Amino acid sequence: MPDFLRKFIGLLLIFAAVGVASCQALVASCSSGAAPVPTVGAPR
Amino acid sequence: MGRLLLLAGVILIPLTALILLLKRRVRIMAERYRQTPGRFPSPKGILMFLLPLPVLIAAVVSLAHGSLDGLLGNAAGYGLFLAGALLLRRGLLTEAEYGRRRVARAPWPLKTLGGSVIALATGITAWFGAGQHPAIAVAFGLAALLGCYLSYGFDPRVAKRFTDRDGVDVTDRVLEALTQAEASIAAIEQSTRNIRNAELNSRLRRIVAQARQILTMLEEDPRDLRRARKFLNVYLDGAKQVTEGYAKTHARVVAPELEDNFRRVLATIEDVFQEQQQKLLETDVTDLDVQIEVLTTQLKREGVI
Repeated sequence: MPDFLRKFIGLLLIFAAVGVASCQALVASCSSGAAPVPTVGAPR
Repeated sequence: MGRLLLLAGVILIPLTALILLLKRRVRIMAERYRQTPGRFPSPKGILMFLLPLPVLIAAVVSLAHGSLDGLLGNAAGYGLFLAGALLLRRGLLTEAEYGRRRVARAPWPLKTLGGSVIALATGITAWFGAGQHPAIAVAFGLAALLGCYLSYGFDPRVAKRFTDRDGVDVTDRVLEALTQAEASIAAIEQSTRNIRNAELNSRLRRIVAQARQILTMLEEDPRDLRRARKFLNVYLDGAKQVTEGYAKTHARVVAPELEDNFRRVLATIEDVFQEQQQKLLETDVTDLDVQIEVLTTQLKREGVI
């Protein structure tokens, strides 16, 4: 396999694995805390 | 979600190709103008510091939301990413140093270790941070490991050995001499920081730069080591002892004649180092002359010229 192609595939895999896992972790942490904040004096 | 992944793929593939092309172009340009290889702060392995940054943000967000599980998973993932990136970078720099030298021991497998730690970090982040199924997290980890291997390769495992003219393996002796010389130069640099005289400091900096140039020449061609033995054992060691002694004494004793003597010694050392460098260059020229002559004779004998 040519050196250029090997590095290209390697970088793609790194982006796909590390990048996607990192972004998913960020999205998960943002969405898990999206519960409504209790407000003081809200109508019952 | 599917559209988002497709969009990410469409953006990532040309972006990666563009980065690789630009990197290649810059390397070709840099090789044309390179003067002292290996002395610049290298950008090798920086990508692995940048890509996991969202995990750090995720850890902060988890902390803000009071989610302990998310915080622990993301913090552990980011910590491992950072450790892996540091190991990988160290491994890449060691490999570059190994490639530059003609005599070297096989380096520690830092790249392989770094890649494995990054793979572990990816798996942990996918499992605990992103909430993926453990099997999918393992797949993420394996993809990261394969990516690191394909992109950065494994560590060199063979030592570059050097034998002298008699066929004796002198690798250890050469490496020991070079390490000792490097330690002497570092000691001179350390002592320079304790000397508060601009003129002497600039002289010492010049001496250190010359010594490093000589050492680089010796690293590139260890055959010169025999010729430079006096430089390594007498002059460099002497320069170190004198500089250390002056750095200790001059702060306690005010003696102008001591300063003058030290200045004179430094001037002599500078001249000797320059002479040594010139001698090594001349030897290289002589070697090349001999090689050219041998080749010419061979070509004449075979009737080519």
